[in-house]
Amino acid sequence: MGLNFLHDHNLLALAIVIAKVVFLLVLLLQIPPLMIWLERRAPALMQRRRGPNRVGLFKWRLWGLLQSLADAIKLIFKEEIAPAGAHKALFQLAPLLGVIPAFVIVAVIPFGQTITLANGMTIPLSLTQLDVGFLFILAFSSLGVYSVAVAGWASNSKYSLLGSLRASAQMISYEIPLGLSLIPIVLIYGTFDLNSIVAAQEQVWGVVKAPLSFVIFLVCMFAETNRAPFDMAEGEAELVAGFHTEYGSTKFAAFFLSEYVVMFVLSCLAATLFFGGWQIPFISHAWLLATFGTAVAALLGFGALLLKAAFFMWLYVWVRWTLPRFRYDRLMALGWKFLLPLGLFNILLTSVILGSY
Amino acid sequence: MMDSAPLVFYTLAALITFSSIMVVAARTPVISALFLVLDLFLLACVYASLNANFVAVIQVLVYAGAILVLFLFVIMMLNVPRVRSKPRIKALDGLLITMVMVAFLYMLYRVIAQYLSPLPVESAGGSNTEAVGKLLFVEHLWAFELASFLILLAMVASIVITKKRAAP
Repeated sequence: MGLNFLHDHNLLALAIVIAKVVFLLVLLLQIPPLMIWLERRAPALMQRRRGPNRVGLFKWRLWGLLQSLADAIKLIFKEEIAPAGAHKALFQLAPLLGVIPAFVIVAVIPFGQTITLANGMTIPLSLTQLDVGFLFILAFSSLGVYSVAVAGWASNSKYSLLGSLRASAQMISYEIPLGLSLIPIVLIYGTFDLNSIVAAQEQVWGVVKAPLSFVIFLVCMFAETNRAPFDMAEGEAELVAGFHTEYGSTKFAAFFLSEYVVMFVLSCLAATLFFGGWQIPFISHAWLLATFGTAVAALLGFGALLLKAAFFMWLYVWVRWTLPRFRYDRLMALGWKFLLPLGLFNILLTSVILGSY
Repeated sequence: MMDSAPLVFYTLAALITFSSIMVVAARTPVISALFLVLDLFLLACVYASLNANFVAVIQVLVYAGAILVLFLFVIMMLNVPRVRSKPRIKALDGLLITMVMVAFLYMLYRVIAQYLSPLPVESAGGSNTEAVGKLLFVEHLWAFELASFLILLAMVASIVITKKRAAP
């Protein structure tokens, strides 16, 4: 909890924390290249094109999987340019403001049940266990808006500024229904702690108990990450590229990094809150532990969570290439006049049902 | 090994003091607002170091995540220009500043004298979400509801004042 790890002088515990940090960091850095590749191959599939399928290793093409690596290398070695009249310091800082919260929120996602070693030592399979688990995620994902706002302002370009104003208004607006959609979950499970919520979903998934919450959460998930059909921040037909119009090289890559990492974390959160997290459907975790032992059971659980998250990542791509972009005023109307009252109604409904049992 | 709590606290306190000074010292309004965000975020870190996780998270969620974004939003919309000239200090201002500084230093002295004993770092321990909820919705229910009513009133009032009247 909190800063407790500072008081723990056990070297082994420290080593385990460092190992977990390194593992998560490496895992998260794999997601953007993979997703960018998917985001180019999937629409190609939908539109009967081929997409990038050439860049591979020697004679193996690997379905063009190394295209992203080539893109990343190109971006990293590109010259850094700041537009004239840009606020130099903030222009540099903006991508970082997006990357940091994106990586911080992964810390509370539970990737499996707490492991107990032979010597009685326990290793929780998340970086930190907070009793305010998903409030922490909401708090830090709400900090991501500064990256967009500052990037737009510091660029000294009207397209960037318009894009960032739109995006920040959109992100603040959709945070409210997002928060409201999660209150029924708290009411049902009686806790903010993500691990206890997963444990409580052994028999019935959360989506069955709170279907309305899931629908609201799903819509807000798309809006919070500024993804199509809510990608007002970029809106390439109107705003060139929105808030990152003036960015290039590594800083441009950093925006993509934070966007995909936030998408991944929200996907994990959706899987954790509504689809049983690391639990494998119809197979009890206790049976897995007894049959295969701790390590394999933990790995299987981790795989289950990744698979569930991967489905939502695919959904992001699927929706992006299927639905047209919303008009800006419609987007605001949907948030404030439909999702907000629906979220409040959902809380009332859940409380009444819970109260009458 | 010494207890790390005082070290964490004093580091945070120094950073908070620095960013608070920057809020008033920065010439560009956007920079001021961003330092205020940092300030409130660091304050949340202080809460977290005292194991008040719920308060810390709410602090980030409400102040840093929502209210300050609106500040920034308005500053960016209005495009408030950078303050160019250095503020000139006149004799009367100098007198006022001296008086305020003396009063502030005196208060600081009193506070330090009072707390010269080791820092009372008491951790609440366990989950404090429940405790906060019980206080708000059971013990202080009426005050809570009244406060929310007041806020609603203020919101409606500001909408009424700023609303443009239809042309006759």
